[in-house]
Amino acid sequence: MADEKIKIGTMWLGGCSGCHLAIADFHESLIDILELADFEFSPVLCDTKYDEIPELDVCIIEGGIRNDENRELAELLREKSKLVIAFGTCAVYGGIPGLGNLHTVEELTTEAYKNSVSTPNEEGIIPNEEVPHLENRVRSLPQAIDVDLIIPGCPPRSDVVAEAILTLLNGGTIELPTTNLCEVCPREKPPEGLAMDFVKRQMELGRPEDDLCLIAQGLVCLGPATVSLCGAECPAIAVPCRGCYGPTAKIVDAGAKMISAIASDYRVGDDKTVDPEEVAGQLDDLVGTFYSYTLPAALVPMKMQKGGK
Amino acid sequence: MAEEVKIVMFCCNWCSYGGADTAGTARMQYPPNIRVIRVMCSGRIDPQFVLKAFREGADGVIVAGCHMGDCHYDAGNYKLDRRMRIIYNLIEELGIGRERLYHDWISASEGEKFANTVRMMVARIKDLGPSPLKEQIEA
Repeated sequence: MADEKIKIGTMWLGGCSGCHLAIADFHESLIDILELADFEFSPVLCDTKYDEIPELDVCIIEGGIRNDENRELAELLREKSKLVIAFGTCAVYGGIPGLGNLHTVEELTTEAYKNSVSTPNEEGIIPNEEVPHLENRVRSLPQAIDVDLIIPGCPPRSDVVAEAILTLLNGGTIELPTTNLCEVCPREKPPEGLAMDFVKRQMELGRPEDDLCLIAQGLVCLGPATVSLCGAECPAIAVPCRGCYGPTAKIVDAGAKMISAIASDYRVGDDKTVDPEEVAGQLDDLVGTFYSYTLPAALVPMKMQKGGK
Repeated sequence: MAEEVKIVMFCCNWCSYGGADTAGTARMQYPPNIRVIRVMCSGRIDPQFVLKAFREGADGVIVAGCHMGDCHYDAGNYKLDRRMRIIYNLIEELGIGRERLYHDWISASEGEKFANTVRMMVARIKDLGPSPLKEQIEA
């Protein structure tokens, strides 16, 4: 039995399949992985039947829980697998589909099936038979099943994932970094800290100065509240971080932490004279800015609906 | 019961918590709907604290610190003030509504202001009704 190959499964739930592309981009590492393991179950790669899921050693699950089919499959795969990896930001934190939590299911289905311009639906029918029903909100995978390992990223970097999976297959352990993006960001941090004097969007600022921290230049860069797994690729090319890898393990609510950081240090030199409304007035769409990828895992994971009295 | 609204109140150690003590020693009357949490400085209050309170079922949150210029640590309350303005907007976007949150400055001698703030907020939250957020999250 010793030389029997390890059985890997992959699955997509409420995601966009982009994380599977990260697997497809393994390149030469795929040869090393296939020497140790086989892909036994993968709706992306092979013909699979949900009632014939084999026993798996490792199951890599992409995407969060959006509908009841997602939940059923997640629970089934948990039973069949020895080790479950929540793969990609949607699985770990809910991801961009999680912004749907700002609307009710009725609002979402009406928009998708009736109001959208590209949907001819004169009778105004909302499909409700033989299609999975949306749950009341998007949840991350760990909110639905036990998960043994998380690998965040939108999508996770292929080289990081390949290395992680090879380490696992060889019996090693994996540790996610505990530092934030600023630790690996090549931009120079100003000695006075991350204070902003104004908040600007990139189109207002134009090309940021080379080599200087983007926050100091007025851009909302989520690097301070984001885990350093990606190697700071975006800030390196003058694009502010949007937090797609999610926070470090020590942070519960990445968006709230980042709001705290920006507000505390805003024009910190004029602490006592600056108008307290000034920074709040310059930030629009707070949920979209600070919670683009992590709303379902945040402390308040959805928009509160009226009523309940 | 709609009567039993729960309000979490964060008080800084040096001024507002002293204000609560003053209200207590002077035997001032105020509704028992608040749960006071003492922090060393209002500048310590993280947006996460406010969000967590709402998540755990608070119907309202009050944040109280020293008056401007009185901060024991020089400028903690200025930082909090900027932060609060964003939190108001955030909870409005999250549907909780900015009326459920309130921040003010209460010094250690202002027992009356402490009691008034609590009375005002309890009346306001009773008017709004209990927050259905916890129920909706756990549904």
